[in-house]
Amino acid sequence: MNPVLPTEAIEFAATAAKAFAALGGVDAARRAEEEPARREGEVTAALAAIGAGDLDPRANPDSLAAAAALCETAGTVALPFPLVGTLLRDSQQRPFAVVPEGLWRVDHGDLFPQWRVASLTGGDTIAAANAAPLGSRLGPFVTDLHALDRPTGDPRPLDATPHPDLAIHLTLTAWHILGTTGRALELAVEHVQGRVQFGKPIAAFQSVQFQLADCSVALAGLRELACFTLWRLTAAPDDALTDALALRLHAIDVARTVLRTTQQLHGAAGVCDEYDICVLIRLVQPALRLPWGAERTTEALAEAIARHGFEGLFPHGLASR
Amino acid sequence: MDFDLGEQAATLRTRLRALIATAIPEDYLGAFTNDPADLDVAQQFCQRLAHEGLLTIAWPTRYGGGGGSMWDQTVVREEMWAHHEPRGAQYMGLNWVGPAIMAYGTEAQKQQHLSAIAAGTVIWCQGFSEPDAGSDLASLTTRASVDGDGYRISGQKIWTSYAGMAQWCVLAARVGSGERHEGITMFLLPMDAPGITVRPIRSMLGYHHLNEVFFDDVAVGPDAVLGGVGEGWAVIRQALAHERVGIARYARCERLLSALGAALAPHWHDLPASLQGQWAKALVQVRVARLLAYRTVHAQATGEVPDVLASSARIAVTQCDQAVAEVLCQAVEERALEAGPTAPLYGAIEDHWRYAQAATVASGTIEVQRMIVAKALLGPRA
Repeated sequence: MNPVLPTEAIEFAATAAKAFAALGGVDAARRAEEEPARREGEVTAALAAIGAGDLDPRANPDSLAAAAALCETAGTVALPFPLVGTLLRDSQQRPFAVVPEGLWRVDHGDLFPQWRVASLTGGDTIAAANAAPLGSRLGPFVTDLHALDRPTGDPRPLDATPHPDLAIHLTLTAWHILGTTGRALELAVEHVQGRVQFGKPIAAFQSVQFQLADCSVALAGLRELACFTLWRLTAAPDDALTDALALRLHAIDVARTVLRTTQQLHGAAGVCDEYDICVLIRLVQPALRLPWGAERTTEALAEAIARHGFEGLFPHGLASR
Repeated sequence: MDFDLGEQAATLRTRLRALIATAIPEDYLGAFTNDPADLDVAQQFCQRLAHEGLLTIAWPTRYGGGGGSMWDQTVVREEMWAHHEPRGAQYMGLNWVGPAIMAYGTEAQKQQHLSAIAAGTVIWCQGFSEPDAGSDLASLTTRASVDGDGYRISGQKIWTSYAGMAQWCVLAARVGSGERHEGITMFLLPMDAPGITVRPIRSMLGYHHLNEVFFDDVAVGPDAVLGGVGEGWAVIRQALAHERVGIARYARCERLLSALGAALAPHWHDLPASLQGQWAKALVQVRVARLLAYRTVHAQATGEVPDVLASSARIAVTQCDQAVAEVLCQAVEERALEAGPTAPLYGAIEDHWRYAQAATVASGTIEVQRMIVAKALLGPRA
C-alpha cells in the first residue's frame, strides 16, 4: 500500500511549474485571451522544453502518473492549451477529445486541424473545427467541431464499447480540475491573511477558517481519489470507465464548492480579471461542463455502477446480485 | 502507487468475515440493546477471537499480541464496524486502554489488566468528558485529593459509553490546584468502588451509549495512578493518537449500501433517477472517506505525525456517515421509521441514521477538527 504519487511524477510537475511560471503563470492565459494565436507558439514551446511530448499516459503507470501531475500543474495556471487531448494524440498527432452526444464542443478545438473524438457511448471519429472559438467569458477557446467521416451526433448504441482513451481523458481532466481548485484554495488563503477588516485579517474570523478547512478537506479527498483512480486504470482496466466517471463527478462537485467558496472569500476582487482567482474560475468552466456537467455525469455513473458494480469492501451494482 | 492492502490483509478479512458469518446473527445490531442476549453475543465473540489469536492481533508480541501491522488493524477496524462492532465495548480496552497500560503502566498494572483485556473478559469505560469540559478537555474539574498515600476522587463525568456495564474505568482527574494540563492524572479504578454512581442518559443513540458517572469521595490507592501524578495529559495524547484514525464508519456505510442495494435490485430501475444519482454519489463519498483514512494510516505507518490528515479523514468519514444514513432512509422511504426485526435490513437503517447523528460529535467534534485543519492552513496566529 503506497498512496503517494511517484517521486518522478512530482519532480516532473515541479519542472513544469517552473516552466509555466516563466510564461507568467495565469498571465499566459490572460495574454491568450487577448491574442488567441499566442497559445500555439509560447505554450507548445514551453511544453516541448520540459519533454511533455515524450509522455504517453497509455504506455505505463509511471507515464500516466507524470501526465496526471503535469495536468494538475497546468490547472494551477489555467494553461491555455488542450493538454489532455494532446497527451492522448494518435500517431498522426491528432489530439483526442471526449465530446457530448449532440454538439461536439471542445476547449481549444481551433488549435489543431483535426481531432479524434469519442462520446461516452463509443465512437472514434475524425473531426475538425466548424468555426472560430466562442470567444465568450466562460469559454473563450471553446470550439465546435464537425465530423469528417460521418454525420455529427451520429447516435451509437448504449452498449457500444467505450473508446480506450475515454477513461484516461476523464481522469486527466479531473487532475486539471484538481490543479485549478487547489490553486484557488492557495489564493484564498493568501487573500484572507492579507485582507484586513474590522482591524484584523479576515483569516482571524472562525467562519472564514471553517470554510477554508472544509475546502481543504474536500481537496484532500479529491487528491486521494485522483491518485486511486490512476492506480485503478492500470490495476483494474475493466472498471476504468466507472472509476473515471466517479472521479469526474467528485472533481466537479468539489470544484463547484471550493471555487465558489474561495471566490466569495475574495470579496468583489473575486470577480475581477486582475485577480488570478477570477481567471482560473472562468477558464476551468469548459473542463467542468464538457463533455458533460455534474448531472449527466451522475446519470452515467449511476448506470455504470448498476451495470458493472463499484470497487469497495462489499459488492455493488446489479451484476453482482 | 499501490492501493492494494496486500495478501495478508485480504486473508485476514476473509477469515474475519467467515467468523462473523458463523458467530453473529444476521439481524445483529450491536451489543448495546436492551436485550442482554446481544451483549452475550459480543462477549462470546470476543472470547472466540481471543481463542483464535485475533482479539489482540494489533498488540505487540511481547504482550501476547499478534504483532499485526497497521493495515491488519485497519482491516479489523473495518470488518468489526461494518458488522455492528461485534466486540461490543471491548474495542476500547483493546485499542487504547491496553496500549496505554503497556506504555505507562507499572508491572503490577500490566499483570493485572493486560491478560484480562486480551482474554476479552473485561469491559472498560473512559472517564474523560465532563459537563463543562467537552472539546476543551483540559478544563476538567474532577478532583483527586491526596489522602494518606492514596487519593479521594470527587466529580462528575458525562457521555461515558458503557459505564453501566463496565468493570473498570480509566479516569482523568486533577491532583492539586493546577490549571489546564497541570495536575491531570489518570487513574485505573474499579467501577464497583464505593461512591461511584452511574446514571444512564436517555438518547437517540440507544441503550448504554451515554451515561453520567458521579464520583463521590471515591477512595483509591497509589497503585491506581497510571503514568505518574500530573502526567495524565501525555496518557490522554496517547489515547487520542490511538483514536486518530477513528472509527471506520465508512465500512458500515458501504455494507449497508451493499445490502440494501441487493434488496432493491429487482426494482432498481423503478427508483427515482435522482435517488440512483444520490446513491452513486454516496458510493463515491464512501470511497473518498476510506481513501482519506488509508492516507492517515499510511502516514502513521511511515512515521509521520498525521494530525491534519487525521482530522481531514475524520471530517470526511463522519460527514459520509450522515450522508449515507440519509440516502439509505430516502431509499426505503416511509419504512425508514421502522425499527426491529421486521424493518428494512432488520432495523439497521433506522439504527444507522440515529447513530450517525452523533458521528460529528463523538471523540472530538467536527468543529475541533476544522480548527486543526484551519490552523495548518493559516498558521497558528490566525
